[in-house]
Amino acid sequence: MTLLEIFDPKAPPRAIGIDLGTTNSLVAYVKNDRPTAIEDCNQRALLPSAVHYGDRGEVVVGQDALLRAAEHPRETIVSVKRFMGRGADDPETRRLGPYAFTAPKEGDANVVRFAVRDRLVTPVEVSAEILRALKRLAEDELRSVGGAVITVPAYFDDAQRQATKDAGRLAGLDVLRLLNEPTAAALAYGLEKKQNGHFAVYDLGGGTFDVTILLLDDGVFQVKSTGGDSALGGDDMDRAIAEEMFRLAKRDVAAATPGEVRVVLDVARQVKHGLTDALEVEVENPLGTEPRALLITRARFDELVQPLLERTGTACKRALRDARTKPEELDGVILVGGSTRVPAVRAFVAKLFGKEPLADIDPDEVVALGAALQANLLAGDGNTDDVLLLDVIPLSLGIEVGGGVVDRILPRNTTTPAAARAKYTTQEDNQTGFEIHVVQGERELAADCRSLARFTLKGIPPMAAGMARLEVTFRVDADGLLGVHAREDRTGIEQTVDVKPSYGLDDDTVEQMLIDAIDHGEEDLAARRLAESRLEAHRIGTSTRKSVDGDPELLAEGERERIETALAALDVAAKGTDPRKIQLRIDDLDASTKAFAERRMNRAIAQAIEGQRLESVERTVEHAKGVERAHGSPLPPASS
Amino acid sequence: MNDPFEMLGVERRFDLDLKVLEKTHRELSRALHPDKFAQTGASERRAVLEKAASVNEAWRTVRDPITRAEALFRLAGVEVGEDKEPKASPAFLMEVMDEREALADARAAEDLVKVRAVGEAMARRAKETEAKLAAGFASSRGDAEAEAVRKLVPLLGELRFYKRFIDEVSAIEEEND
Repeated sequence: MTLLEIFDPKAPPRAIGIDLGTTNSLVAYVKNDRPTAIEDCNQRALLPSAVHYGDRGEVVVGQDALLRAAEHPRETIVSVKRFMGRGADDPETRRLGPYAFTAPKEGDANVVRFAVRDRLVTPVEVSAEILRALKRLAEDELRSVGGAVITVPAYFDDAQRQATKDAGRLAGLDVLRLLNEPTAAALAYGLEKKQNGHFAVYDLGGGTFDVTILLLDDGVFQVKSTGGDSALGGDDMDRAIAEEMFRLAKRDVAAATPGEVRVVLDVARQVKHGLTDALEVEVENPLGTEPRALLITRARFDELVQPLLERTGTACKRALRDARTKPEELDGVILVGGSTRVPAVRAFVAKLFGKEPLADIDPDEVVALGAALQANLLAGDGNTDDVLLLDVIPLSLGIEVGGGVVDRILPRNTTTPAAARAKYTTQEDNQTGFEIHVVQGERELAADCRSLARFTLKGIPPMAAGMARLEVTFRVDADGLLGVHAREDRTGIEQTVDVKPSYGLDDDTVEQMLIDAIDHGEEDLAARRLAESRLEAHRIGTSTRKSVDGDPELLAEGERERIETALAALDVAAKGTDPRKIQLRIDDLDASTKAFAERRMNRAIAQAIEGQRLESVERTVEHAKGVERAHGSPLPPASS
Repeated sequence: MNDPFEMLGVERRFDLDLKVLEKTHRELSRALHPDKFAQTGASERRAVLEKAASVNEAWRTVRDPITRAEALFRLAGVEVGEDKEPKASPAFLMEVMDEREALADARAAEDLVKVRAVGEAMARRAKETEAKLAAGFASSRGDAEAEAVRKLVPLLGELRFYKRFIDEVSAIEEEND
């Protein structure tokens, strides 16, 4: 029986939620209505986010990789999340560990490349290895894995989000959605505990810090503001302790070998964990020099982390201000991330917000549990009417204009999905092109913000300065990803770019990586494409049938027949083995339902507005009834 | 640009009940949220995303008094924008100069209580101007709408001034936090 079960091809695909963390990652799913973390054969749910590249081309992920880190510091990538979406020339990347980097060749994408043995790997590929390991874990438990929700820090910019999505795609996951970590945490608390009110989510992970203020109101999770630092976390605490250990051992950090740095960092992490319960921890000097033993007290540790905590405090205050919320108006503070186990952190948070933080859900698991709930909703297995996530853009998006100044088009904390337009004109006579530089950040000058993309709108006929009319539209989707559209009004010339960031990989590169993965014998691309297409066909077919059956009155003459024909053709294609044919039939179905979908959408809008009108009319009537009792005279019906 | 009032299904006026409108926005977001269309075809997903973004944009526009007034002017056929509006009258500038000085003094003296008080006084003036705008827009419907509305443009300039002033107050509060 067990064998039969394992190979049961009909096991329905289950949606999963993934917390792709700096230090640890984990995967969860909804089991009997409860989000549950999936454990490995050793009953461990946390998979260390470490990837080791072996000398025989093998890739090891997790605890086993971590064990090899001391001996092979350059071939074992830890905390790869901190490199996501960063440029090779970013000074921050050099600071982050004992790795060998390779500068990009002329014309290559400006991303970090680790040199490991005879190959080069990007952070996207390293993250994909972690995601693959999690996917295998989920497959062992669920047999068939459907879509996935992957969490990202709310503070991640466009490049970092795009890199995460690319990693998911590379790992063979159907990424339903990128979800902000604090929103995921609130989802886990809100649904499980049925809490309402204003909440702050204080998330101090291995390498990132986020603070988010959100309003929970009967299933609506509205993010009011978010802030943080994408390069601050528990790693910095380890580093602070490690530096202290070097000082105590009277050794110069700069002169240490990468292996020594790794070993000291590992011991430092153990010291940090020990200090959660103990008031002091003594360890053997890992550098083998005098003194033989190193003593770190909690008081000293608290001192060392104080500057890091102050930095989180500044971000918290700004988030509160942005949300127009005072600390005393908060109904609760949710703790997320393993680093919030540190007593100094809890004390700091309690003082900052004036209340004891909530920590009844495991801070290491809460994000993945929330992601699992969201994945379940997106896969159509939960009741979507009950839950609504209204997220925001974490950093302002804008365009560089004259003098290097940023013109903000979408300010930070704008609710997504979002769209906004701005108009520009030419500066010089006979200017035939516009250079458009898209940036993200809060600073006045483009040079101080993060560069997301540059593109040029060309072919504008010569006109006097100030005559051309350029309209630039920004669109941010529910994943927080940006698309830019530019159009010159007089000529109608236009151009759309998906912002493939200055620090990202383009689609072709990701595609090439997929192909390379097959060369390494890791994937069967054709089989995978087929499986993906079939999954999509199934999804769209089911949803179309549901809408046609649900709203038959919205179908025009002969429309049902056309849709049925397209559905039947798709079914036939899905039984075949050609993913391109399936895709074509999906496109046909899409075309046949376009007008119907439009009608359904317009009705949904009309109903939402009508519902609100009725409610306000009801209130008027309620009010009127009171009046009626007092005066005994009937009131005219409310006019629309 | 779309009519944000039409988008949200409300009357085109300045004095709107933002509490009710926030709920309308929320219900529209619920009906249009991309999460509910995760299973549907590509063109439907795109259309819904577009609509949801427009609804958010409409809400952003009407929520803020300045952008709401701008939209009303534009819909009445009156072009606005800082470079198209007349300069503030000397009388208005004289009136607010004292407030500016008061703020500068309070800042120099690091008197946060005073800073806050000056900011609150300015917020009250902004409310008064908003009331005038509401009355002005309400009484200028009909044939000569554009003409009547054009007379209200200086009030928008005042609002802009108050907003900048209040932003400055928050910035001062922020640096002293």
